[in-house]
Order: sequence, then structure tokens, then C-alpha cells
Amino acid sequence: MDRRLRVPIIVGLGLFAALAAAAALSNASVSFRSAQRDGNRVAEVLIGERVVIVLRTAAGGYTPLERAEVVANRLRAAMAEEIKTEQVEVGPLDSGHGVFIADGLTVAVTESEAEAHGATTEALARQWRDNLLLALGLEVPGPGASEQAPPPAQETPAATPAAEAPPAAEQTPPAETPPAAVDWTGAAQKWVPIFSLTGEGVSAGMAQVAGPTAQMEKVKAVAELRLNFQNFGRIYTYIPVSSISMKPQRIQGVSVWAIADVKLVNF
Amino acid sequence: MKTQRRGIAVVLVVGLLTLALVAAAAYAIDLGSIAKVLGIGWLVSQHGEQIDAFITSALGEREAAAQGATKVVPIISLGRGTHIGAAQVVGNPDNVKQVKVVVQLEGKFGNFGAKILVPTTTRTASGNPERAKGVGVSAVIEFKI
Repeated sequence: MDRRLRVPIIVGLGLFAALAAAAALSNASVSFRSAQRDGNRVAEVLIGERVVIVLRTAAGGYTPLERAEVVANRLRAAMAEEIKTEQVEVGPLDSGHGVFIADGLTVAVTESEAEAHGATTEALARQWRDNLLLALGLEVPGPGASEQAPPPAQETPAATPAAEAPPAAEQTPPAETPPAAVDWTGAAQKWVPIFSLTGEGVSAGMAQVAGPTAQMEKVKAVAELRLNFQNFGRIYTYIPVSSISMKPQRIQGVSVWAIADVKLVNF
Repeated sequence: MKTQRRGIAVVLVVGLLTLALVAAAAYAIDLGSIAKVLGIGWLVSQHGEQIDAFITSALGEREAAAQGATKVVPIISLGRGTHIGAAQVVGNPDNVKQVKVVVQLEGKFGNFGAKILVPTTTRTASGNPERAKGVGVSAVIEFKI
């Protein structure tokens, strides 16, 4: 091919790759959730479907889940601007270490948090920084950049498959890694009321739930939570609960088999 | 000859840039409009995992996620045999894997309208659908199409 032709073609290919990468990254959303790991309740921060930070301990009067919310909000704010590899850093704090993005503290690694992970504060902070970089599609500094403490053994995926926040390439979507302890095969059934509070009014109905007898005895109602998916999907989630509360406590192993609904009040 | 080659190069570059812009704008496109043309089955096959992760994440934030395998499948109306929405099913991982659709049977009882949701391992809705063992419904998804 004519040499002069190669230049515009290569430039075009480069632009294509850059824009496609930007499109992929623009889809990465930050979320957080509560999860069960090693028998303990923890809070996870995710970018897309990738777990990047796992918080095991309370700090500063915040529960792990509240800390995860704060971290997720900081990440969202930081991701509003373009992030470069060198802007994601680990630095010392008065007590422990922190992961900083563009000089702003994103997450603090306290002594107690590091202890819960069986790591030093610096090693854990570096692990989280690397997870963030991977999730953001940025280059992770090589071993030479992590001069001092190497990552703790239990956070190396090869050593412990259940180690938290492993490199993204080895992670599976959350829906594919359910804890296997819950029995969903029970078929005892009963009808319970559905309660939902939405902007469209108060509606009430009944749900037929099914599950193991012992779990079914605990179920008193089904909480309906409405969600919007993008601009074209309305989701009605049904949560079997033991009491009516704004913070539903799910009874595991119980699912919905049928729904009977009647509108009581229209606003 | 030179002019012709330059022309080809320009067309190539413009084509690549157009493709790049389409890729960049992919998520800005109204998926609802696409679904109107391609249908709910397509929507679920393309975005089922994304919807599943969205529900799991939203429930996880409220500490109400189900501790079981989940999956989003189409809902088929028993009478019409058409896709009328989608459902997130939950249960034992091996059983959830086998579920292909949720069959919906509707009935009226006085002022109450009842919808019976039956996760099944077949792709069609006919006769008396057999409920997949160890699987139930945890969410129903309605599409505005």
C-alpha cells in the first residue's frame, strides 16, 4: 500500500479504538451493596459488575455499608472527570493509608480494616488502587512500583479463591456466585399481603409465596420495591419479609409464585 | 491514480470515525425504540444479564438481595403465547440454569386479578406448564415498548 495512505488509515484506526474504549468506560457505573463473605456481612463497592473494594469494619461512626456509600459517591464524583493512572495513588494518613484520586481521598484503610483482611494498611490500599485501575481500564503499575509491602498472601487469587477483591479478570458477575447454603427447594405455600408505597398511590394485594416450612413460618408479608431500568423498564421486586418495615429484611429461600393485586387508592 | 487512492483513504477514515461515533453513542440510543422493532425476546437476550445485575445491586444496597442464583428470562402469556415482559427468577444454581421462560397464567377473582408465574424449563407455553423445582420469581419487569 502507498505509504501516504497508511498514515490516515492508522490515525483512523487509533481514533476508532480510543472512542470505542471511551464508550465502554462511559458505561461503567459505580454501585455498592451488602454481601456475605466468609460468614461475615461486608459491604462491597463495584465499578460496573466488578468488585473493587470490600469493607469489613466500621470506622468513624459509619457502618461498612455506610462507608461503602461514601466511597461510591466519591468515586462517582472522581469519575466525572477523566482519570489517569498516575492520579490514582496510595498515600499515608494519620492512621493507616488511603487511596487518592486526583489528590482527593477516595477510601481510607484503617488499621482495623487491614487487620480484618490480614494485610498491612499499605498493602491493602495498593490492592484496592490496583482494583480501581483495572476496573477503569487503566494500566496497573508493575511490581517495581509497589516497592515496599507485597500484597498479602490471602489476597492473591491463586492462594485463596475466596479472597476479596481479586483482579478483575478472575471475577465473575455477582449473580453467578451465590452462597450455596440457602435451600430454595421447599414447596410449602401461603398467601401474604403485598405492601408497596410509591409515588402513584398506595396499592395492596396478595402474593403466594413458597419455600421451606421453617422459613415460611417467618414470612408475614411481601415488600414490593419498584425500580426503573434506564428509560424503558419498570421493575417490581418482591421481597418476602417477616415484618412491615421501610428496611426490608428478606427471608431467604422463599420466592413468589403468584400475585393478586387490587388498587385501593389512586392519587 | 493518486487522487483515487486518496479518495479511498478519506472514505476509510470517515467510515471508521462514523463507526467510532456509533460505538460511543451506543448507550445513548433509546433501547426502548430498538426493542419496539426487535421485541422483548431480543431485549431479554441482549440485556438480561445487565437487568439481573441491576436488580441484584439495587437489592444489595438495601441488604435485601436473595442468597441464591438469579437470572432474567422472558415471561410468556399462556393464552397468547407471546412475550409480555420478563422476570428475575431465583433459586438453586443448578435449577435456575435450566429455566428458559416464566409462563404467566391470568385469572379474575372478584376485584382481584391474579397472575400465576410458573418458571419452566421449556421455551413454549402450552397445556399445563410444569414448574421448575427450587425456582421462584423475585422480580417482574415491564417494558415500555
